[in-house]
Amino acid sequence: MNRITDQNAYRRRRLIAGALGLGALGTFGALRYGDGTVSAEQADKDAAPGSDEPTVSDKTGERLTHKFAATHYNNAYEFGWDKTDPVEKSGGFELKPWQVTFDGLCGKPGTFDLDELMGMPFSQLEERVYDFRCVEAWSMVIPYNGRSLRDILSVVQPLGSAKYVAFTSILRPEQMPGQASSFSTLDWPYVEALTIEEAMNPLTFATFGVYGDQNLPQNGMPFRITVPWKYGFKSPKFVVRITFTEERPEATWHKENSREYGWYSNVYPDISHPRWSQATERRIWSETEVERIPSRPYNGFADQVAHLYPGDQKQYR
Amino acid sequence: MIRTLTHLGLALPALVMAYAWRSQSLGVDPQKALILETGIWTFNLLLVVLFLPVASRWAHWPVVLKYRRAVGLWVFAYATTHFTLFLSFYLGWDFVRLAEEITDRPYVLLGFGAWLILAALASTSTRPAIKKLGRRWKPLHTFVYLALVCAVIHYLLMIRSDWSWPVAYAAIGLCLLMLRLRRARWLRTRN
Repeated sequence: MNRITDQNAYRRRRLIAGALGLGALGTFGALRYGDGTVSAEQADKDAAPGSDEPTVSDKTGERLTHKFAATHYNNAYEFGWDKTDPVEKSGGFELKPWQVTFDGLCGKPGTFDLDELMGMPFSQLEERVYDFRCVEAWSMVIPYNGRSLRDILSVVQPLGSAKYVAFTSILRPEQMPGQASSFSTLDWPYVEALTIEEAMNPLTFATFGVYGDQNLPQNGMPFRITVPWKYGFKSPKFVVRITFTEERPEATWHKENSREYGWYSNVYPDISHPRWSQATERRIWSETEVERIPSRPYNGFADQVAHLYPGDQKQYR
Repeated sequence: MIRTLTHLGLALPALVMAYAWRSQSLGVDPQKALILETGIWTFNLLLVVLFLPVASRWAHWPVVLKYRRAVGLWVFAYATTHFTLFLSFYLGWDFVRLAEEITDRPYVLLGFGAWLILAALASTSTRPAIKKLGRRWKPLHTFVYLALVCAVIHYLLMIRSDWSWPVAYAAIGLCLLMLRLRRARWLRTRN
């Protein structure tokens, strides 16, 4: 090889090296920002009116997290791992028709339409304001529309031998990209479970809407269970099956990593997640206001549920 | 001219982040978004800094090495911002809690360790320091690979369920580390 071709070869290599570097950065940019993760337009388009004013519940007067924040920052791995995936990738999710099957150890198993489970028009359902406390140490104050789960469970008559209740979420990979993703390690469909006492506690809420809105798949609609004294992942979304069992059912996150996600997962500020502290939480009020506040045992419901957990708290982590 | 453009290019992610922060377009949890973004850009530039000598040797392109220090200092700047935001948003400048977090949580320990290494390397990157360290400068600065390993594990420990991004970074980091090890072996056998 003479010197000229030598020079040409190196020039080509420089082009290749430069292209490789720039190409890598470009690919990075397209993958990370291409889907509008940091999108000003999105925020402007959907911004709630008067979004700097605190919103307050009409019924209870409590301060609420803005609906925009509560509907644009969600964990629903069915749609993807990113907090914006649930709102951005749930457009094709069909909310109707929706049926829930009750089976296992109960006197009257069967399948019911959502309207039957509500038992009244949606607008007449109870509104309850609960703090949604995520295991990731953030929280939001959200108005839930629904009724106590026990009113529904008592209709199907759980048997005395029923010690646990398992909730199975829908499996619909064609409408839920996170279920179809080969990068997700979770075992679909999502399953969560409670003891029968937890499920029958009046706080446990069969939820058909949030902010008076039934059309929010990112929040787990059309039907989810809300368990306000536990970390958020214990409140299963898109529920299609409720099973009464004698043996303790396995739950999705607990199966994924039992060291990090306890089966009970009650909110205990003293018991850290292995990777972060649970002593405080970041209360998200809106896109612009986040406040760090101390977390409370049982997320503030110790009076009503602590009796369910006699002995050392660690065994109910 | 090229030097100015290089610095501008390296500052660009930070400028975009600052603009996004001001215009409230970082989504619902802007604090977390900013911490993640500064972290990911620390990582990006760290990979760039390690890619430069590889490109320089392979394509006989010594001029790119002139910019290695600039990129390296920006790596430290992004890392410091990342760490400062974590201190401010997540710990509220509570240094007792920082000590607890470092001892209790491996990912904080590794991130902190990587930052310490980068701080040591940045502070020995001034001309007088380079002169003073002489032959010891080079072995000291190979510790950047230890910072890389810390950063890779730091990121892998953040996985909840989706592992695509951290694993991609780990793979690229591993490639660069292997290339460096291969060169070290080649240098040894040559002598």
